Amino acid sequence: MDLTGGFGARSSGVGPGREPIGLESLHLGDEFRQLVTTLPPENAGGSFTALLELPPTQAVELLHFTDSSSSQAAAVTGIGGEIAPPLHSFGGTLAFPSNSVLMERAARFSVIATEQQNGNISGETPTSSVPSNSSANLDRVKTEPGETDSSQRLISDSAIENQIPCPNQNNRNGKRKDFEKKGKSSTKKNKSSEENEKLPYVHVRARRGQATDSHSLAERARREKINARMKLLQELVPGCDKIQGTALVLDEIINHVQSLQRQVEMLSMRLAAVNPRIDFNLDTILASENGSLMDGSFNGTPMQLAWPHQAIETEQSFHHRQLPPPPTQQWPFDGLNQPVWGREEDQADGNDNSNLMAVSENVMVASANLHPNQVKMELISYKIHIRFEAMELDDQINIFCVETSNPSAVTKSEYPSCRCPRLE
Amino acid sequence: MQPTSSMNEEFLKKWQMGLQIFRPSIDNTSVHERKKAIKLSADVAMASLRKGTTCWSRALIEKTATEDNFLVRQMLSGIKAESLINKKLPKKIVCHRKIVRRSKKILRRKSKSASEEAAAKAKRLVKRRTQGLRNVVPGGELMSNDVLLLQETLDYIVSLQTQVNVMRSIVDAAEAEIER
Repeated sequence: MDLTGGFGARSSGVGPGREPIGLESLHLGDEFRQLVTTLPPENAGGSFTALLELPPTQAVELLHFTDSSSSQAAAVTGIGGEIAPPLHSFGGTLAFPSNSVLMERAARFSVIATEQQNGNISGETPTSSVPSNSSANLDRVKTEPGETDSSQRLISDSAIENQIPCPNQNNRNGKRKDFEKKGKSSTKKNKSSEENEKLPYVHVRARRGQATDSHSLAERARREKINARMKLLQELVPGCDKIQGTALVLDEIINHVQSLQRQVEMLSMRLAAVNPRIDFNLDTILASENGSLMDGSFNGTPMQLAWPHQAIETEQSFHHRQLPPPPTQQWPFDGLNQPVWGREEDQADGNDNSNLMAVSENVMVASANLHPNQVKMELISYKIHIRFEAMELDDQINIFCVETSNPSAVTKSEYPSCRCPRLE
Repeated sequence: MQPTSSMNEEFLKKWQMGLQIFRPSIDNTSVHERKKAIKLSADVAMASLRKGTTCWSRALIEKTATEDNFLVRQMLSGIKAESLINKKLPKKIVCHRKIVRRSKKILRRKSKSASEEAAAKAKRLVKRRTQGLRNVVPGGELMSNDVLLLQETLDYIVSLQTQVNVMRSIVDAAEAEIER
């Protein structure tokens, strides 16, 4: 029988006999359905043998038909568990022998399960340790995890099988039979009412199972999301990808974040210790470091050494504002700068004039009670002084020094009229 | 998700801006004050990179704003500082203490099998770690959701790495400058 061999190979991993028939019957028309219904209803395995007992030509024809549509069939068998729904719907409508047995079993199980639960609630509450009524059921479930768990699993199994019969039932048959014995002993008396309440019970059970299922589905989705994030974090944190266990990974992540924070702290400390005037150096550093730090995009911008020329207003605007212009121009800014000014007076008043803000502060204080001409002179001298300071890191300082021999010329030539209209 | 060079650039620009706001106070003050100023401006620069789209950056800005409101306002002038600072963070969930205690009692009452015990132990460990992570990430207490917390942690780590990278290169360059 090379035919059976071929068939067995194709339906390996799936249930015996019954399966191919279902498939074929899906693809074939009514004529084959008639053939199937005429099969002897003794056992599940008999259906295939019955098929083999058909006239050989017919059987071969049928098999070849399935072979012709084998691509679909193979795909379906490859999926395995998902072949079930169409099969079962077919079996149900045709009252297919094995499937009907399955149906009956499933229904009975669910009812048995429900009845056992009822027994738990009604009959066995006295045995439960906690007397309170509301939590009795829960405690019962918790205290006897073995039995109730199996019953729950069977409930869900039967609920699933009502919609999706598993292809490999033979594996589960032993388990189910065991449970049958257990269940029958406890629920013999209710067997008569069982038959009537079968369908509604099944329905409710299924729905409840589905509800919990969706819940667990959402939970699973959430867990998967967390795991994906975890994996990303593991990739991000060095030396973390070899660690197993969520807690350890989290530990590592916390350590990493803390170490980074500490590094920032340490680096800012170092930077503060290195030089008292960071931003000035920052410009020169940028000029020297541009190649290594950035990928060249900064090179084009007038960031390096360009700031005295007012070319850049965006990043250097603060710079310009804090270079002391004449007091008449300073006043409009005052409202804006009020917090800074206040703070500055606290910190900088006692210091010498090297602080630019202190300088401008002094200028303003001085200008309040001085003659206009005196103010003018003072301003010019201060301005030169400040310019010196500002430019001390620039390469142009030599040129600037030469120019400062004539202060008025400097102020006129170097700075546009918009900055100090009064000075001219 | 490695820090990109564009992030570095952006951070450096922002940071420089912050430093320039701070410059007058940085000059001729104690090292500690300077350090604080540098760190604050770096933090705000890092947080402003995200433009308020993430929880941690908003929390960080809020935190720095309590320390130095003016700096934050100046630094965030480009991106609507007002809306950033005043943007509502998710509310912290407050449980009644009595209810919490009672639920804990109920939890304790349930007897558990060995496997359940182990699972509960592992869960507790993870929970404690998660709490630790909440304390480390700015604004973590406000993230009730574990998924959100991890996501924010991811983003925060990337930003921190950017910050550290840029700061380190600057510091190295500055020290080299001094030695020269």
